[in-house]
Amino acid sequence: MTGTHQPYAGTSVARTEDADLLAGEGRFVADLAGDARQVVFVRSTEPHARVLDIDVAAARAVPGVLGVHTARDLGLDGRALPSLTTPNPAFVEATSFSMAEQRLPLLATDRVHYVGQPVAVVVAIDRYAAEDAAELVEIAYQPLDPLLDPEHALTAEPLFDHLPDNELARIGYSFGDPATAFARAHRVVEGEYRMGRHGAVPLEARGVLARPDRRLDRVEVTTSTQIPHLVRDSIRSVTGWAEHEIRVRVPDVGGGFGTKANVYAEEIVLAVLARRTGLDLAWIEDRGEHLTAAAQGRDQLHRTRLAVDERGHILAWSDDFLVDAGAGSLWIAGIVANTAVHALGPYRVPSATIRGRAALTNKTIMAQYRGAGRPEAAFALERSLDAAAAELGIEPREIRERNLLTDADLPYPRPIPYRDGVPISYDGADYRACLRAVNDLLPATTAEELTAEHPDALVGYGLGCYLEATARGPYETARLRVLDDGRIEVLTGAASAGQGHATVFVQVAADALGLAMDRVRYLPSDTGELPDGIGTFASRSAVVAGSAVHEGALRLLERGRARAAATLPGDGPVDYVDGGFVRAGHRIGWAALARSTRVGGDAEATALDVTCVFRPETVTWTMGAHAAIVAVDRRTGFVSVLRYAVAHEGGRELNPRIVRGQILGGVAQGIGGTLLERFGYDDSGQPVSSTLAAYHLPLTTDVPPIDVAHLHVDSPGNPIGARGAGESGTIAAYPAISAAIDDALGRPGLVTTTPVDTAALWRALRDEPAEVAR
Amino acid sequence: MKPAEFGYLRPGSVTEALESLADQPEAKPLAGGQSLLTLMNLRLARPQTLLDLGGLAELERTFDDTDALVLGALTRHRTLETDPLIAERAPLLAAMAGQIGHVGVRNRGTLGGSLAHADPAAELPMAMLTLGATVHVESAARGKRSLPAEDLFLSFFTTSLEYDELITWVSVPTIKPRQGWGFREYARQHGDYGLVGAACLLTLDNAGRIAGLRVGLLNAADRPLLHDERDGTADALGEPPSRRLWERLARSLADRTEPSHPDVEYARGLCADALVEALDAATARIPGGTRP
Repeated sequence: MTGTHQPYAGTSVARTEDADLLAGEGRFVADLAGDARQVVFVRSTEPHARVLDIDVAAARAVPGVLGVHTARDLGLDGRALPSLTTPNPAFVEATSFSMAEQRLPLLATDRVHYVGQPVAVVVAIDRYAAEDAAELVEIAYQPLDPLLDPEHALTAEPLFDHLPDNELARIGYSFGDPATAFARAHRVVEGEYRMGRHGAVPLEARGVLARPDRRLDRVEVTTSTQIPHLVRDSIRSVTGWAEHEIRVRVPDVGGGFGTKANVYAEEIVLAVLARRTGLDLAWIEDRGEHLTAAAQGRDQLHRTRLAVDERGHILAWSDDFLVDAGAGSLWIAGIVANTAVHALGPYRVPSATIRGRAALTNKTIMAQYRGAGRPEAAFALERSLDAAAAELGIEPREIRERNLLTDADLPYPRPIPYRDGVPISYDGADYRACLRAVNDLLPATTAEELTAEHPDALVGYGLGCYLEATARGPYETARLRVLDDGRIEVLTGAASAGQGHATVFVQVAADALGLAMDRVRYLPSDTGELPDGIGTFASRSAVVAGSAVHEGALRLLERGRARAAATLPGDGPVDYVDGGFVRAGHRIGWAALARSTRVGGDAEATALDVTCVFRPETVTWTMGAHAAIVAVDRRTGFVSVLRYAVAHEGGRELNPRIVRGQILGGVAQGIGGTLLERFGYDDSGQPVSSTLAAYHLPLTTDVPPIDVAHLHVDSPGNPIGARGAGESGTIAAYPAISAAIDDALGRPGLVTTTPVDTAALWRALRDEPAEVAR
Repeated sequence: MKPAEFGYLRPGSVTEALESLADQPEAKPLAGGQSLLTLMNLRLARPQTLLDLGGLAELERTFDDTDALVLGALTRHRTLETDPLIAERAPLLAAMAGQIGHVGVRNRGTLGGSLAHADPAAELPMAMLTLGATVHVESAARGKRSLPAEDLFLSFFTTSLEYDELITWVSVPTIKPRQGWGFREYARQHGDYGLVGAACLLTLDNAGRIAGLRVGLLNAADRPLLHDERDGTADALGEPPSRRLWERLARSLADRTEPSHPDVEYARGLCADALVEALDAATARIPGGTRP
């Protein structure tokens, strides 16, 4: 390609989405519902109970109600949410991974397993009537003891009749010679680290619109999801419908963060119900539902041992973890495997024993919340490194300097495969450089400077490192076609939940085709336009879908060149210059080529339309270091994050401002998870965080200035050199902030649990020597 | 999160509102709606009829009486916070109003609504106790009556108002010479409810000794708490203000609280600290109050 095109990739092109979104012109699922009938789900009020009877007679009699349905009358009795993934055999072999078969019903019939579980469904002319009727559905429960403690659950009576116990998944691997290393170590530090249950809580809750088209014998589902193709596949799996009978489209989505990278019973029930009733149906989740019934995250306990030598070099690492998966998780394999794989961190770890289990309990179902095992693993390892440093009397920074992988180590193979079965090899350049860069951005001396500005607080500094496998396969798709005016239309299987796909994928396509961005149109994900795809999660879209767009654009270019060669006078090679094909002084552009494929053209009925599948060989790794400065109020134990910095070894930044936005948002969610957010349950299993007055999200006033340094190392694993960054901001926030709190209080190892309990800090403050406490 | 069905009335005058209340015992007055509408959307409140007071412009006025400000029940929190007259004559009230929620809440929430709602964690009920305000109520059947603020709050979200009574006006004593005020609330996040909160109104005599002390505590019981010379602060009378005295007093009052927070020791500890801060601030606001 020749010409004057200046690449867009690498520049912070303004997001094309934002003008509409900021003007309130976004089109979210609720905006598209129009006059669709409103659906409300009747949900379990019991954490664990037998269902003896469901009486819908009174509900059906409410004026404005069009129907009240249970699993039985929808033909869904016994139908469960289909599983989404099959673990890779090589990974299973290497890690002894196993998991139980889950049968979470679409609508509960005999037994309920968490408060918020869908039991029945009401269709009405509006949401008011539907809620009135939902109150009148009488469900006779025989309460059963709820299981709320995952350790206890492992030995308790099974929650599901088809299972022998409540172990949902198990994993374990070991390498090196941990036994000898622990026996001979200079020091072994033991720890117990808990990360509480919290989740994404996106600005827009879930929502589904299902419109039956009798003429086409098809249901069109518009759902606020990150994974439209998996939603379609799950609906098909339950119903047996042909692919052409169901089309799933993605509207504007107001945040997903993994909560919407899940297939929900509500999505399947809406599709079934729409086809059955012939009605356009909308279910728009309200905040109360979202905080009880949408899939949650984290909730892990790690028991650790770290063996080090005199200088703090890691000799062996042991992490035995337990995930409280609630009543189930379609992604339990991902959560457990992510935790186990990321347990090793960005360090030289010669021996390790990693074991993990997931337990079923009577809490809400779980999804892959931003990081999905990575933050939990990083919390355990980073906190253990801090504990070892304190034990040895060296600085937290020093112990990391001594253990981080450098250019002398990398690429660094690990003796286990990744989840895709490919042997792990960290593909970075120099992880120690990130630690040094974050220290340049935010040195520990800044904490001392801030002390004077915060006389009522103790100020501390903390570090955390992470390593993140990004851009997992097995593939992603892109479709590009030439429109009649010569514009190129692009869409991918990786649906946007607000990340900026309409900007970034257009940048990538425009660069590959040497076109101005306004010559490329982005089409939101739609299974009707692109039949295969996977979705947006696991820091994968920019890399995997971006690569599919890139390769698809190059293929389209070759198609165009072949077409031009057949059309342009002369012979010899056809050049592509400034968005047009040239030979012997003659030029033809995309619009003319497109016309030549239409009726009467010399290539009649041969569309310039390519679908490209990009299959990464395996994941590509993003490493980074976080630094936090916090103030702990001397009177209250309240924690404020004063400054924050992230330095990460990412790949080529397609749009630096969007990458930066990913980091900032990730840090904000990390702050929330570390300090504020908790899905609580009382002793009877009732959720106690069902309003935003009780579930505390971080506010703008809780998020400090954040500096970001990008250390560019092209990824070898894809044609655009990108690495994922979607979870980078979140993963190390928990240990960095916790370490800063320890440092402020001069109490290494104090924080072992998130969200941080301010009462515990208050007690620690009162134990202080008098001169420190003023 | 949609309310159950309700009827709706919008009276044009206080008289009309009182008649409606008398006729419809199940009607619930709606003022700013910042608590009631949320409770209705959660279906925790199910009034048969809402009596929307939004049209009663007469209750949005403020009068400057000799020793008191007379505030209409529909005075918005934002007005309490920003009105220069209120800031000058009842600075504690202005400071406390500024701590309520976020500005959007303060633009709509009203003084009378907050008092009638009687949330023990709310700022304005505690402010009324601390300032010794008088609440004026009216009913169609019995006309007007006035009661001291401390007689209004009975328990969680429960007042001594009769079903047919409406809070119409509130008289707030204005600040006197030799009086200082203090207010401190510890909230985890901007705009959040205070985990604890304390306010005080301190009067010193010409010799610099304590001549009067009223203390209010929020989120400390099933209702906002008042401690005055009749209950809890008498020992301080005649003493000069000192940090030691404040700490002793704060500790003894905090120990009597019954906070809703699950960690009672923590909540009481914070309550004592907040009160010490409020008392220090009050002392410093009186000329000569803090001795070098």
